[in-house]
Amino acid sequence: MLIRAEFEIKEVLRYLSHLELMTIFRRAFRRANLPLAYSKGFNPHILFSMGQPLKVGMMGWKEYFDLKLTQEMEIEEFINRVNGELPSGIRINKAASIPEDSKALMATINSAVYIFKMVFTQKMKADEELLNSFLAEKEIIVRRERVKKGDIEIDIRPMIQRAEIIEPGKWLFQVDCSSERNLRPEEISRALVDFFPALEYIPISNIVREGLYVRVGNELYSPLDEKIVGR
Amino acid sequence: MKLVDKLEKILYKVKNPVRYIGNEWNMVKKDWAEDKIKVALAFPDLYEIGMSHLGLKLLYHLLNEEEDIICERTYAPWIDMEELMREEGIPLFSLENKKAISEFDIFGFTLQYEMSYTNIINMLDLAGLPLYSKDRDEKYPLVIGGGSIVFNPEPIAAFFDIFFIGEAEDGVVELVRKYRELKDKALKKEEILFELSQIPGVYVPSLYDVSYDENGRIKAIKPELPGVKEKIQRQVVSNLDQAYYPTKMIMPYMNVVHDRAVIEIARGCTRGCRFCAAGISYRPVRERSKETIIRLADEILRNTGYDEISLTSLSTMDYSDVADLVKTMARRYEKDKVSISLPSLRVDRFSVNLAREVQRVRKTGLTFAPEAGTQRLRDVINKGVQEEDLYDAVQAAFEEGWSTIKLYFMIGLPTETMDDIAGIVDLAKRVLQIGEEVRKNTSRQMKKIQVNVSVSTFVPKAFTPFQWVAMDSKEVIEEKQKYLKEHLTDRGLSFSWNNPDLSLLEGVFSRGDRRLAPVIESAWRKGARFDGWGELFAIDKWEAAFRENQLDMSSYLRARELDELLPWDHIDVGVNKKFLRKEYKAAHAGELTRDCRQVGCTGCAICFDLDVKMELYRGDVNVN
Repeated sequence: MLIRAEFEIKEVLRYLSHLELMTIFRRAFRRANLPLAYSKGFNPHILFSMGQPLKVGMMGWKEYFDLKLTQEMEIEEFINRVNGELPSGIRINKAASIPEDSKALMATINSAVYIFKMVFTQKMKADEELLNSFLAEKEIIVRRERVKKGDIEIDIRPMIQRAEIIEPGKWLFQVDCSSERNLRPEEISRALVDFFPALEYIPISNIVREGLYVRVGNELYSPLDEKIVGR
Repeated sequence: MKLVDKLEKILYKVKNPVRYIGNEWNMVKKDWAEDKIKVALAFPDLYEIGMSHLGLKLLYHLLNEEEDIICERTYAPWIDMEELMREEGIPLFSLENKKAISEFDIFGFTLQYEMSYTNIINMLDLAGLPLYSKDRDEKYPLVIGGGSIVFNPEPIAAFFDIFFIGEAEDGVVELVRKYRELKDKALKKEEILFELSQIPGVYVPSLYDVSYDENGRIKAIKPELPGVKEKIQRQVVSNLDQAYYPTKMIMPYMNVVHDRAVIEIARGCTRGCRFCAAGISYRPVRERSKETIIRLADEILRNTGYDEISLTSLSTMDYSDVADLVKTMARRYEKDKVSISLPSLRVDRFSVNLAREVQRVRKTGLTFAPEAGTQRLRDVINKGVQEEDLYDAVQAAFEEGWSTIKLYFMIGLPTETMDDIAGIVDLAKRVLQIGEEVRKNTSRQMKKIQVNVSVSTFVPKAFTPFQWVAMDSKEVIEEKQKYLKEHLTDRGLSFSWNNPDLSLLEGVFSRGDRRLAPVIESAWRKGARFDGWGELFAIDKWEAAFRENQLDMSSYLRARELDELLPWDHIDVGVNKKFLRKEYKAAHAGELTRDCRQVGCTGCAICFDLDVKMELYRGDVNVN
């Protein structure tokens, strides 16, 4: 069976890298004694994959992985057994059995929602007004850092799908997050800091990835949603 | 602001913050209760290096098994973290409860390597402790040094209150409790230290007076007070099979150097390589039984979820009936996709075949250590490897499909001439040629043959038959390295070497004395840290530190007289000095001394001196 699970990553464990996180899961699965499915070949590995990597230092509230098992298992039991083997800070909150031929997470997820904690050094206008002035820009150019290939300038405005104020000082951005088009949270924060001179540098620990989503038309769905996995 | 909140403010700024967060699987975090004895265990290098170290984990879990003891860990922060910690006023802290080290009763260091000395004093300083033992009263944590491999502690003696000499499993809990008892009696530090000095294996440097003659040679090492033992005897675990071994082992977050289940299948090695300190100071050979090893492996795999298990010892292939052990284990864990790895291969066909049979994960290369380039020199160092053994082993390796071979050599060995250096080149070229022939004649796909020649510089170590020999000068080392650079240039050959300055500094400390403590302090004040890390090592800081203290590095690299008093002579590792002298002479005569497992006692006297014996599984002698 193929299981898709939604988990959160909080507290100090947000400092784990993507690869370290994968290692933690693999070892937790083994300790939980699950009927794991392995790839064929000389050096078999667990059939396990995750969604788009979370930036080191950032919390994630709705992250996802897919895991293949050789035997059927109650979802409740799966969640309990794996949670029992995970360090505090990582927790599976939901899971579902999905069709074996489901598209991989990385190919399904195309949107992410981030929440930024904004701290201004002087008194400003209302948040709504500030946000609207930012979004009113025709283009928002930031430098994209690229390992080896050299940095380039990109326009991030088209990749911002939606933005709103949740409460004063907390801004939400819904942005492109797929293998083709990905807006990195640190690029948003750079753009914000460039635009508002009175805005303090936003450390990565002041940004949360609220969730990863599948956007169909203008609607957002969870990768676990029936409309997406078609149970 | 609490320490954790201050940490929160800086962690996202540093490289690899997971080094500092703790919270690992199988970490032991106890309630910070007043009446518990608190021990902070420190490893004076980065987290990922320290977390690969078996001895530290063993001690950590051993101490935490005790109700009345809280044992937590700390590692050397990398320079970016250190800078921020100093800026924010964050003291060195433990990973478990995030407590300042100054709140512990005991601050214990695992000592491994001379190049971590500046890290030790940096950690003392970050913890807010005065560097020197004499400047710390009983209100500060007791600073202990230890490590199962006996080293020469003299250069750092002034920074430590006590050292524990030898294997700590049997004595450490008693030592910790004794200290707390003395502290609770409100004794003065001197009184506490005197009492502790009565415990076997405990060395209190401040209770010994060292005097020097006008040439800087040691005149005498004497106890300062009556009732202090003249010699400190190394402690050894008898019956390794019954000894404590942790099975709920703490697991690192980072991809550390040895991130896999580790089982120590044996301790000690009696092959008698004359350059090797571990070969002397881990004696005698003691093996765990196959039944115990498998029981431990079952538990460790269940508690960790590792998919690789490493059978470790100084020479794994010498374990009695090693083939049966590894094949049994490979079969037992096959369904769980656990692979067995053999960390040290002997230079022979048998080892290669066994590795091939059980190692599921195909490593890119195999490493062999002929150590020296000619048979003459291999006999001098008592490395019982014949040229044919090597050719046979690499032939087997190439035939089994490995295409990369790493050959490990040393330069600067006693009696070495340029012929021996040329011998390294000949050997490497021959191995390459064997590989290319196999590749040409095989029907299977094989990558290009690559022979990596790694050449380190020999450093004479205390407690070995070579403790009296001179170390090569910088000029000579560079000349030998230059020759190798110029001659190991064929396609398919690569050559790597050590920074000579680093080796020479290691040579100074390995046989150094107490006059070096202020030198270490000066170098640290000039910013020396992580000297073992090429990118941070700066010899000019050290040269200036030596000048400031009017000491000459080269005086520490000279040959010693056979009857000269050595700085570490008050420490008794159990192997007697007569045996080391005999071995020194045998080396210069090119005579071999065989392994006592095979030919009977060769007179190192460890078994009599320490009242221990060789413990072989089923008592059989290993003949493969």
